[in-house]
Amino acid sequence: MTLLKSWDRVLADVQSRTEYQNYVTAWESKIRSMLTFDLNRDRFGAQDGPLANIPFAVKDNIAVRDFNLTCGSRILENLVSPYTATAVERLQAAGARVVGKTNLDEFGMGSSTDNSALAQTNNPWNVNAVPGGSSGGSAAAVAAGLVPFALGSDTGGSVRQPAAFCGCFGLKPTYGTVSRFGLVAYASSLEVIGVLSRGVDTLETVYDIIAGRDDRDQSSVARPQNSPARGTARVGILRQIAELSPAIDAAYRETIEKVKSLGVEIVEIDIPALEYVVPAYYTIATAEASANLARYTGIRYGHRTSDDSSMEQMVAASRNEGFGDEVKLRILLGTYVLRSGFQDQYYIRAQKIRTAIRNGFDAAFGQVDLMLTPVFPTQAFLRGEGELTPFQQKLADKFTAAANLAGIPALTVPIGVTDGLPTAMQLLAPDFAEHRMFDFARRMGVDMAAMTPDGFDEGWRK
Amino acid sequence: MYQSFIGLEIHIHLLTRTKAFCGCTAEFGAPPNTHVCPVCLGYPGVLPAVNEEAMKMSYMVAKALNCELSPKCYFDRKNYFYPDMTKNYQISQFHDPVGRNGYFDVEVDGEIKRVRIHDVHLEEDAGKMIHSGRTSLLDYNRAGTSLLEIVTEPDLVTGKDAEAFIREFRRMVRHLGVCDGNMEEGSLRCDANVSINLKGQGLGTKTEVKNLNSARFVRKALEYEIKRQGRVLGKGEKVIQETRLWDSDNNVTASMRTKEKAHDYRYFPEPDMPPFCPDDAFMSEVVSRVVELPLVKKQRYLNGLQLSVDAAEFLVEDRLFCDLFEETCALGGDAKQISNWLCGDVQGQLKRAEVALTDSHITAARLNELVKLVDSGVLQRGKAKEVLELVIAEDKDPSAVVREKGFEQVQDDSQLDGWVSEAIDKNPQAVEQILAGNTKTISFLVGQVMRFSKGKADPKKVTDKLSQALGL
Amino acid sequence: MNVNELKTTAQLAMLDIPDPEKLAQAFSEMLDNFSKMMAVDVEGLEPTTHALAQGNRLREDVPRGTDESEAVLDRAPEREDRFFKIPNVL
Repeated sequence: MTLLKSWDRVLADVQSRTEYQNYVTAWESKIRSMLTFDLNRDRFGAQDGPLANIPFAVKDNIAVRDFNLTCGSRILENLVSPYTATAVERLQAAGARVVGKTNLDEFGMGSSTDNSALAQTNNPWNVNAVPGGSSGGSAAAVAAGLVPFALGSDTGGSVRQPAAFCGCFGLKPTYGTVSRFGLVAYASSLEVIGVLSRGVDTLETVYDIIAGRDDRDQSSVARPQNSPARGTARVGILRQIAELSPAIDAAYRETIEKVKSLGVEIVEIDIPALEYVVPAYYTIATAEASANLARYTGIRYGHRTSDDSSMEQMVAASRNEGFGDEVKLRILLGTYVLRSGFQDQYYIRAQKIRTAIRNGFDAAFGQVDLMLTPVFPTQAFLRGEGELTPFQQKLADKFTAAANLAGIPALTVPIGVTDGLPTAMQLLAPDFAEHRMFDFARRMGVDMAAMTPDGFDEGWRK
Repeated sequence: MYQSFIGLEIHIHLLTRTKAFCGCTAEFGAPPNTHVCPVCLGYPGVLPAVNEEAMKMSYMVAKALNCELSPKCYFDRKNYFYPDMTKNYQISQFHDPVGRNGYFDVEVDGEIKRVRIHDVHLEEDAGKMIHSGRTSLLDYNRAGTSLLEIVTEPDLVTGKDAEAFIREFRRMVRHLGVCDGNMEEGSLRCDANVSINLKGQGLGTKTEVKNLNSARFVRKALEYEIKRQGRVLGKGEKVIQETRLWDSDNNVTASMRTKEKAHDYRYFPEPDMPPFCPDDAFMSEVVSRVVELPLVKKQRYLNGLQLSVDAAEFLVEDRLFCDLFEETCALGGDAKQISNWLCGDVQGQLKRAEVALTDSHITAARLNELVKLVDSGVLQRGKAKEVLELVIAEDKDPSAVVREKGFEQVQDDSQLDGWVSEAIDKNPQAVEQILAGNTKTISFLVGQVMRFSKGKADPKKVTDKLSQALGL
Repeated sequence: MNVNELKTTAQLAMLDIPDPEKLAQAFSEMLDNFSKMMAVDVEGLEPTTHALAQGNRLREDVPRGTDESEAVLDRAPEREDRFFKIPNVL
């Protein structure tokens, strides 16, 4: 609790608040991680509780009453949420207070946060680099020390990849262990609310508070009474890993050696179906998205065009003006793969491959306690020349999206800094074995004191 | 020479307190957009949570329709845009509905016809639209309420069959207590698919007939539509597959002529709610709540209890009358007699008082008491109406009413014998006539006794005593 | 990828795509990627329709009690009295 402990005074009095505000303002002029930052808006944080007065930030696709719920989209730019997500309510009940809503790729669709229609967020390590996505705002805010933790959402890697790009821990919990009530749906069967923090202990504390079955989310699940064993004796690695950037490749090899040095056996694992993670993932995700985003029409809330020549025209124009290109592309793809005549070939086939991937992990976890893979084939990429194209970015989701297809938990663990940007690796565990990953991450002993971007400062709150 | 095929798609509003997927009340008649919340308005981030009672009622109907009940059912999303639908997909069931492959027996002209049921599935209703001038106004009070759809196979032949089906079905859901069956208010809606073809040629090209808001309209519209299709085919033309609306003012169906837009519902499993696998506790509750169905009940009343057709028909029309009837019988009364009371005086008094049976204070115990009072001669048959009226108006037991009003007939033998002797003594002429064979004159003597008793003597008993005294 | 297919798809999705040719390339790129799935032998695999589903979930049929109607009506882009207002649908 050391990280959190240092935060519990920042909202205590006018002077602390001013110092806090100043620190954030200075950073935000460079990175613009948050769409809203307001120390006074959250009226629901309890006075006591384990997280009393601890500020935190929430990705702007998670509902917090009285705060905007833009999803990084023009279509919801002016929507103020009338209700609060269950995960946020649980943190408020524990005393924590929402201070900011963080930027994201529109509706969570992207790997850079550059797909936000509302702001450009920069990586705190290098403002010319992207923070990753889609929870790029949450990752940047945490990495810059603006909040001790932030909530994100992970549909195909959207917590873990920006955590890797910005140099912090990022947890994608087991599907269903954290209620999705209040998380704006992109791909319902794949996504889950996750946590980003610079400390494993904080991550664990927050996860234990937000996890739990929720009557408002019937797809939520209770964690088993007998949680899986916490120890790790064997770690699996994929037999074939190709196309890693030199920095990531080096970090990967270094991590394998590190794991061995802990006395843990490394086992090579084959999951052939993983070759099809990207097409299966994008087929399912876009299919679900095409239905999930059909509700945005400008009739009941959100952006409405001035063109009211007919109902159809009004709806189509509102959607056209309100959605960005990437969102439109994914809605179209999803609509297409669900069309009669195409469903078998795309959507249903993808669901079957999903089963094969799940089976592959089940078999793997019969042999090993955890799996270790890269998070993303590259470090945070720079904007402009040499930037990954949107298509290349999608192909690079292969390591992260596998966990979403299988439903299993995964954790981004920072490794080090190469060429001024962080490197990170991913741990994967069987269902409900989050704590096994936390313990192992602690054993790996990452030196977070060395993982600080220029301008990072904790002195102001001590 | 033509054969007709009719299939029905029936939607019923389930009588749940809350909507299908959120905690908004499902009551009708509130001001626009009163019973709405982020969930039923399709706000970003909300999730549906299926209503337990809606699920139970759905299984009840499927069970009553003799369906194969799904051991694992789940919801699907049916995708299409329309402003009355808040998410622009309807949560429905397509791949694995609550029930499949059932049948329902209907009586037409005294014969039982078995109609196959294709499936029974639970879905959500849409909101309502009001169109005025350049704008349409939306009210989402009804959006998300639980709607159960029942799809039959095209086993019905005539409009009369279809009307009988709807009436029997309506009676059935009312008996189960899952729907109020009100077609005018739309809590029971019916669309019909109809086609005709030359005998032996199978189904023809069908039309869908909508706007059928009474059982009678179902018959009339189908009779019209079958004739219309016959005329079309007779002219050597082809029936166009389309949706037609019943126009009850002009007694015709007319093409809706909607803009033909590409539609493709793109059904896929609803990821927000896990599959539902009914367990033993759930199923035993469902089974226990599927009461004896009206048609079966009617047969039992007719064949087992020997009720008249009219009485049986009357009773099974309303579950509450059946319950009252059966409870009263269970107290030991004669079924036929009780049924006559119910169809006769009870119904009559309720109608006159404009009171529903539930609010009438008439219970099995009270009805049983009333019948016994009359049977035993304590109450004159002719006074029963008055007693019922007071039971209804003042919530009192019949015996109390009889006592308070002084309606009891004198049964005491010594008192009656006194009056009888007095009448014989005072009317020697009448006695003479009777003894001479003019037995009808005995009614004069009965009248005398009634006068002495101020109307409280039991005329039947008095007659007996007079006959006995005069040695008849 | 045929531009007409794209237009039909856009119509189903209620999207007004001003420049379908521009989108067609990105669309085809992804569809080609999806087509790789055809190489997988999916014989005997059941589709995963629900991720980690656990037990039966039913909500008790009890009204919520709080009135949220004003909050949602306030957020309507256009309203008339207590109605949401749109161009005439007929």
